[in-house]
Amino acid sequence: MMKRKLVLTTALLAAGALTLAGCSSEAAPGDSAKPLDGAGKTLNVLTDANTLYPEEQQKWFADVSEQFKAKTGAQVKFETFATANDELTKIQTSVVSGQGPDIYSLGTTFTPTAYATGAFVKLSEDDWKKVGGRDRFTEASLGISGPDKDNEVGIPARSRPFVMAYNTEMLAAAGIDKPADTWDGLLEQAKKLTHDDVYGLSIAYGDNFDPWKFIWAMSTQAGNPIIDGKKVRLDDPVTIKAYETYFGWLTKDKVVNPASIGWKASQALASFADGKAAFMPMVTATSINTLDASAVAGKYAYAVMPTIPPGDTTRPAGGKEAASILSGSNFVVADYSKNKDLSFALIEMLTTAEAQKVYYETFGEMPTNADAAAALEKDNEKLAPIVAASKLSVGTPFSGAWGDVQLGMTNVVVQAIPSLNSGSVTTDQIVSALKTEQEKAQSALDRAK
Amino acid sequence: MGPVSASSTIAPLGVKPHRASAKEGARQAQIHRLLPKPLLIVILTALLVFAMVPVLYIFFASINSDLAVARGAFWPTELTFENYSKIWTTVDLGTGLVNSVLVAGGVALVCAALSVSTAYVLVRYAFRGRLLVLRGLLALQSIPGTLLLLPVFVLFSTAASTLGVQIIGTRWGLFLTYLTFALPFSTWVMVTYLRGLPRELEEAARLDGASPFKILTRIIVPLSWPGIVVSGIFAFLLGWNDVLFASVMTRPESRTVAVALQIFGATQEGGAVPVYGQMMAAALVCAVPVVVLYLIFQRYLVGGLTAGGVK
Amino acid sequence: MVTTPEARTRADALAAASAASADATPARSTARRDGHPAPSSPSRLNGRPRGARKTGERDRPLWMLAPGGILMVIVILVPLVLGLVISLMDLDQYTLRQWVSAPFIGISNYVEALTKSSLIQSIGISVGYSVLVTLVCLPIGVAAALATQNRFRGRGLVRSLFLVPYVLPTFVVGTVWRTMLQPDGVGNAMLANFGIDGGLWLNGPQSYWALVFVQIWASWPFIYLLVLSGLQSVDAEVHEASALDGAGWWTKLRYVILPYLKGPITLALIISFLHSVNNFTLPFVLFGIPAPADVNVLPVLTYITGFQNFRFGLSAAMAVVSLILIAIPLFIYLRAVKLDTGEDGGSRVRK
Repeated sequence: MMKRKLVLTTALLAAGALTLAGCSSEAAPGDSAKPLDGAGKTLNVLTDANTLYPEEQQKWFADVSEQFKAKTGAQVKFETFATANDELTKIQTSVVSGQGPDIYSLGTTFTPTAYATGAFVKLSEDDWKKVGGRDRFTEASLGISGPDKDNEVGIPARSRPFVMAYNTEMLAAAGIDKPADTWDGLLEQAKKLTHDDVYGLSIAYGDNFDPWKFIWAMSTQAGNPIIDGKKVRLDDPVTIKAYETYFGWLTKDKVVNPASIGWKASQALASFADGKAAFMPMVTATSINTLDASAVAGKYAYAVMPTIPPGDTTRPAGGKEAASILSGSNFVVADYSKNKDLSFALIEMLTTAEAQKVYYETFGEMPTNADAAAALEKDNEKLAPIVAASKLSVGTPFSGAWGDVQLGMTNVVVQAIPSLNSGSVTTDQIVSALKTEQEKAQSALDRAK
Repeated sequence: MGPVSASSTIAPLGVKPHRASAKEGARQAQIHRLLPKPLLIVILTALLVFAMVPVLYIFFASINSDLAVARGAFWPTELTFENYSKIWTTVDLGTGLVNSVLVAGGVALVCAALSVSTAYVLVRYAFRGRLLVLRGLLALQSIPGTLLLLPVFVLFSTAASTLGVQIIGTRWGLFLTYLTFALPFSTWVMVTYLRGLPRELEEAARLDGASPFKILTRIIVPLSWPGIVVSGIFAFLLGWNDVLFASVMTRPESRTVAVALQIFGATQEGGAVPVYGQMMAAALVCAVPVVVLYLIFQRYLVGGLTAGGVK
Repeated sequence: MVTTPEARTRADALAAASAASADATPARSTARRDGHPAPSSPSRLNGRPRGARKTGERDRPLWMLAPGGILMVIVILVPLVLGLVISLMDLDQYTLRQWVSAPFIGISNYVEALTKSSLIQSIGISVGYSVLVTLVCLPIGVAAALATQNRFRGRGLVRSLFLVPYVLPTFVVGTVWRTMLQPDGVGNAMLANFGIDGGLWLNGPQSYWALVFVQIWASWPFIYLLVLSGLQSVDAEVHEASALDGAGWWTKLRYVILPYLKGPITLALIISFLHSVNNFTLPFVLFGIPAPADVNVLPVLTYITGFQNFRFGLSAAMAVVSLILIAIPLFIYLRAVKLDTGEDGGSRVRK
């Protein structure tokens, strides 16, 4: 009896909290199920540390905790990981030990890896209902939730598509009205904009995370998804071409600062922020913070990156209009979790249109909730290209071997740095480096189950 | 040859093995000098520059502007100490320092105690496999941490599921791990030290009927402080410095300062210009306790690694 | 590998000796293993002294070995064995969850490690760089120790300052040097003062030298410390004697002092070599992942293979191979230099 009373009270409280939080009633079909009693329980959530807004993140954690406690009586404890390495290690150790966080907010490219371990809940139709229904989310954001519609583990949490920032003043001065939509066109514009100590493009060759995204995007646009069924296609001509283009900006075309050989993404962004570069491809909306506080404040805009591969003026047959990798975070629920329903309830709470709007306003990360995304697009012109890029995002191949492939693609750039420094990376070099990585990646893919 | 001469200088209470510098006088100094003066000055200057320039740089960078650091300035162009106040919130240094002091400090104390008793038995008693154990102490150092990481984790998490003892994520897990990893070298240090101690006092005590444990606590330990301090310091250092194990075995509330700093450094990669100033300030703050510890125990350090000579 | 048998013997010894031992299994295995009746073993197995051939044997407090021994068995040896087992398994992202039932594939991982991976290269890099670091550190450490042996004003301070690079946490060292060695960093700015174009230190062939340099910077004080303590053991009479002989400083150093330092130097070389070989944090922090091929040292390779590529079985096999390749020569070396024998327990003071 006591218990039922408690449930009732909790339900009432929860309803109250929902109204207070301003949740639209149709966005919470989870309510139709019987309310959850989470009193005395604790949900552990692992998420990425937000370095741009550390204090806001702490506050957000506290708010979410409070709100969820009011709703279900359960406590939410957040834990953060700082780097992709941390993230991987946390997944591994939790998987092997069968204990750890209940909910993971994973980088999208890690979802295939998480899926491969089989240690995360495969979402049934019922599970999807508990988080507010699959159709709550934008179609594009579901692109990396699982290998196919019936085998999904990832619930889209937020979207961070990659776009290109450009210096509006420089472009106007050079008589360029808008950034090109082909890589060749972009190069021509960059050439025009390179003079003295100002360069057309700002690229971080020394970064451990950025380079492969260029290669992947150009390859995908040219019709090579890199992993094609049971075959890795790293040694494909279009991929070789992609590397040639990427290195060529520095060695042949000289539209990037030679110092960028050793740059991390942050240094490339700093150079753009200093007004020393016209285009800065491969940035996310989180760069707004840095740029608005820099020398280019008010003089920059975002654009979708080119979607027509190098050497072409129209996208070849089979090529995809991939403006960005499908980037952001997915929630996954651990299979060992003893609080699955509570976990789904929390995810439901975090993916309502209202919650995602709040999240966007605090952290600048794009919603995955379809209603929230639509509302945002309408209201904010500056964000339009980012929302567009979000829609044009293409998921990286969903394979347990993707991690190896990605590492291989990065490794080609890492090992080419000395040659870049000496001024030329030959096609032979690229071909032979790709051959090695191709073999490694293929053997990793062959192991995939 | 050490023990014989050592016995003459190490009185029951005497701890100081600085025999060479015990006597004063210019003639002594002359006799004990090992290098000609000019060479001595050259070596000292060169090494001080070599060792200290990067350390100075840490300090300068911590009070410099981040942009100047990024452009390769050595001397600070501006002076700001606000990095030192910022890091307490951005890096969460406070929690980290407390955890590190507790874990590394605990490891140092327990490791010193265990290593002196283990070494005592190894040095003074004959038993089968003794030599192998001694060699093993050195050989254990050659096991790569990357090989042990996953198994140790599996083991500790099994303890949680089978025995119901939660080790992962607590300071105890780290404590046990570091303690064990520190033991081989610390024990070796103590073995070396104890070999140099005279045995006459022990023999006398033994004839009086004292138990081995009594001999250990009443005679060996008081004579071995320098060695014990060194063992403890090496153990402390291991616990203070590790990142590999701490990064997977801690939770936010049990995070050591090393992990806190590593995480802070790692997160700087993706944003704008890294906050070098805060990173360097945090690095210094994090290094200070260890350096101070070394300075305090410095004179033991030298003497503690050997009583009668490492033979 | 090499550590297992003798450390197990030790563990057995403890377990057997300690009457209150909770776990009887190792004790029984001792009995089997120690089949050859050694003079001392009966007394040990009874846990009660019988023959008192040597003074030390009367009541050997072997139980004192127990706490340390048990810890080392649980936290080092058991995981090591577990690592060995894993090296025979096909443990990857698909089997990690049920790792106990991951398929046994025998020595396939070893074959793959030796034939299809860059393990051999990595071993070459690791051993080469560690030997180099150790050899360069040696004269620096010895010179520093000799220079601070004599009293002079401020010697205490100098001695402390020398130790600072060593006591700085490795990740601090890595972070600092990573900042300094950037293309636009202070390192190249200083080199530019001498008209040298430093180039890239964190990528490409020069990264090897960057690693060697930073590791030398961070580890010479250890050798310094050991040599300094070794110098303490040089008797005052020796100085007197060579002063009477009128020996020059070099002669004295070479023929009188250095022989005293053989022990500490040997120990310092071994430890320093092992530290370099097993140093994961420094290359990891300095270069990130994937590391440039020139600094793809063993710990980094095993880490990437396991924790990045999820090939835990292969990674364990690599670690075991490298362990064998390093431990065996080390063990032979240890026997040769007799660093460990010292005096025999129970015997009289060694002359």
